[in-house]
Amino acid sequence: MEANKGTSSMEVEERETKVVAKPNFKPLTAHEISDGQVEFRKISVPKHRYTPLKKAWMEIYSPVYEQMKVDIRMNVKTRNVEMMTRRDTPDVSNLQKCADFVHAFMLGFDVIDAVALLRMDELYVDSFEIKDVKTLKGEHLSRAIGRLSGKGGKTKFAIENSTKTRIVIADTKIHILGSFANIKVARDSLCSLILGSPAGKVYSKLRAVSARLAERF
Amino acid sequence: MAVTPSAGVEALHHLKLTEPPMYLTPSSELANAARIASEHLFASLKPYTPKSPFDRLLVDEKFDAEQIWQQIDLQSQPLISAIRRQVIKFEKDPQELKNIFKRDESEQEKKRELVSEEEKGETDDDEDDEEESDDEDEDEDEMEEDEDEGENIERESKEGGAGGVEDKFLNIEEMKEFMEDDEAREYGLNKKKHVKKSTRKHEEDDEEDDEEDDDEEDEVSTFLGVLGEEDTSDAEDARYEDFFISSKKSRDQNKKPTVNKKVEDVEMSDGEETEESDSGDEEEDGDEEEDDDEMKTDNLSTHEKQLLEQRARIEEVERENLEAKSWTMQGEVNATKRPKNSALEVDLDWERNAKPPPVITEEVSQSIEEIILKRISEGRFDDVQKAPTLPSKAPREMKELDENQSKKGLGEIYADEYAQKTGLVSQALSFSDEQKKEASVLFKKLCLKLDALSHFHFTPKPVIEDMSIQTNVPALAMEEIAPLAVSDAAMLAPEEVFSGKGDIKEEAELTQADRKRRRANKKRKFKAENAKKIAKKPRENTETAGNAGKEES
Repeated sequence: MEANKGTSSMEVEERETKVVAKPNFKPLTAHEISDGQVEFRKISVPKHRYTPLKKAWMEIYSPVYEQMKVDIRMNVKTRNVEMMTRRDTPDVSNLQKCADFVHAFMLGFDVIDAVALLRMDELYVDSFEIKDVKTLKGEHLSRAIGRLSGKGGKTKFAIENSTKTRIVIADTKIHILGSFANIKVARDSLCSLILGSPAGKVYSKLRAVSARLAERF
Repeated sequence: MAVTPSAGVEALHHLKLTEPPMYLTPSSELANAARIASEHLFASLKPYTPKSPFDRLLVDEKFDAEQIWQQIDLQSQPLISAIRRQVIKFEKDPQELKNIFKRDESEQEKKRELVSEEEKGETDDDEDDEEESDDEDEDEDEMEEDEDEGENIERESKEGGAGGVEDKFLNIEEMKEFMEDDEAREYGLNKKKHVKKSTRKHEEDDEEDDEEDDDEEDEVSTFLGVLGEEDTSDAEDARYEDFFISSKKSRDQNKKPTVNKKVEDVEMSDGEETEESDSGDEEEDGDEEEDDDEMKTDNLSTHEKQLLEQRARIEEVERENLEAKSWTMQGEVNATKRPKNSALEVDLDWERNAKPPPVITEEVSQSIEEIILKRISEGRFDDVQKAPTLPSKAPREMKELDENQSKKGLGEIYADEYAQKTGLVSQALSFSDEQKKEASVLFKKLCLKLDALSHFHFTPKPVIEDMSIQTNVPALAMEEIAPLAVSDAAMLAPEEVFSGKGDIKEEAELTQADRKRRRANKKRKFKAENAKKIAKKPRENTETAGNAGKEES
């Protein structure tokens, strides 16, 4: 679309000084930015998330299609979730957000937790492995995993609640979803648990830190 | 009952002739004969035992065998010891024995008066006692000789001395010679020159009985007596040569076995150490030096002798001083510097400042246990009680860690947070739970009523500290118009918002030194942590979180 022509100040002959309204440009749509080309995202679905995806498909589909205005489909043959920008996708980053959202779901997060990614753009997903922190083998590894989750998952929930994050412990991989500072706190707690500190110690630290976090704006 | 000697001899013979088996059966005849014989023997021995308490043996029929034996024993014991001495003397000098026997042969013909005269003549030799002992032997062997003769002998021998004191133990002549020897040793006198003096000594021997027994007193008495005698009666006899001429001859004479050499030695050591110290010192030197020293000391006066003595002592002391001291006299002594186990022998005593540790005895432990039991029964334990601190500021509400899975999704939580932040939603005072609050209020009321019932002194209505939570609700909730940043109607006071201790400096305000200090502190903490980790788990390698981040996608 061509912009409306601005007043040409070059026309000196017309002595009539016309007050021309400032042009008002609408923001470019994603489509226009990419010059009419469509962008794609492809996210593979791991085996263990296939069934949960089937169950939660509508909850994923609805916010992506309706609020983000991004086309989304499931390629059953290749076991991928594919996303595509539409003409009316408002923002360039929408596609990326949706991709992150779906990726978070694939990592293991719940839909309601992953949806926060769509709503807030300061949320990230941080992943690391237990072996990154400390080399553990066999029983020690099992014990470390047990320490991380706690009895019935209470330690994990405690960390989640106090730091406003979501944690997924997938065997030896750990994923944390939350804002940057909260991720840091949660990661510190988890690392200290891996290194062997007892849960009580981690709790006391959490209390102090979360209180401090809560005070901050 | 008096028994004639012949009867006694007869009885003896009778006893000899009886056969031994006859003694097995008790017979009064044999007993009688035995009594008579023993009485005779006793009587014949009586002359030689002047100290015996019995004049004759009491052998009446009423006397027990034991009693008779005791009487005999009383008589014979001193006899036996005297005879033993004689035998020892003869052992040492057999020549005299021969002389005695020769003389005996002549004596058998003559009477005892001649013998006693000879005694007087032979004062140089020590034969008086031997003569008497021979007399004893003869008497014992030949009981036929009259007792009167024996008594005569005794009397005559005593006449040689001074009035009836002499016996076979005490010989005035021997005494005399001994004293001469002593004096010779002390004053360097020639013994032979004092023959005359020795004759006087008989009178002084009255006080002496047995030389063996009464050493000191006799020596002193005789010595004094000797001195006295010398002063009064022998003044004319005393000559310069007697005192101050070398006593080589006296030394030779001293080497001869004197009367009671053993007695002399004993007397020397016991009695006259002080008086004969000079001569004693000289005698302690070697035998070779004795002659020389004696020559010198003979020429010196008493004072000079004393000086010599002193000098000798001084030299000895000086020698001691030059030698190394014993370890006890040295200052600080290690265990290596003293002989092994030497500290055990020395009586060590030093002041100890520390209190000695208490000796744990039964009583001590008993007393301690009593105290413990008493305290337990009383319930009076000395527990440390924490001093109550006044609450300076309102206690901050402690957020409890919720260990249950959160029901809200993360998005909702952040949404709520955002809403609260922007003040669109005013949050109620979060006091955990409404129910909890209600429950606590009810409980307080109940406690109040119970206190009223139970306390003796009722304190009505205790002040309930209201733990009001001051959340920093922005002023917008208070319907204030001013914008957030400007309005100062925040509920929390500044110190409740942030309690900073010390000098808070902005990043930009820190000086170089401050930065360095901060960095050094950080490094120190890091090192401490690492050291702890390394100490705890030396086996496992820890990879720092910094290395993490390479995720396999």
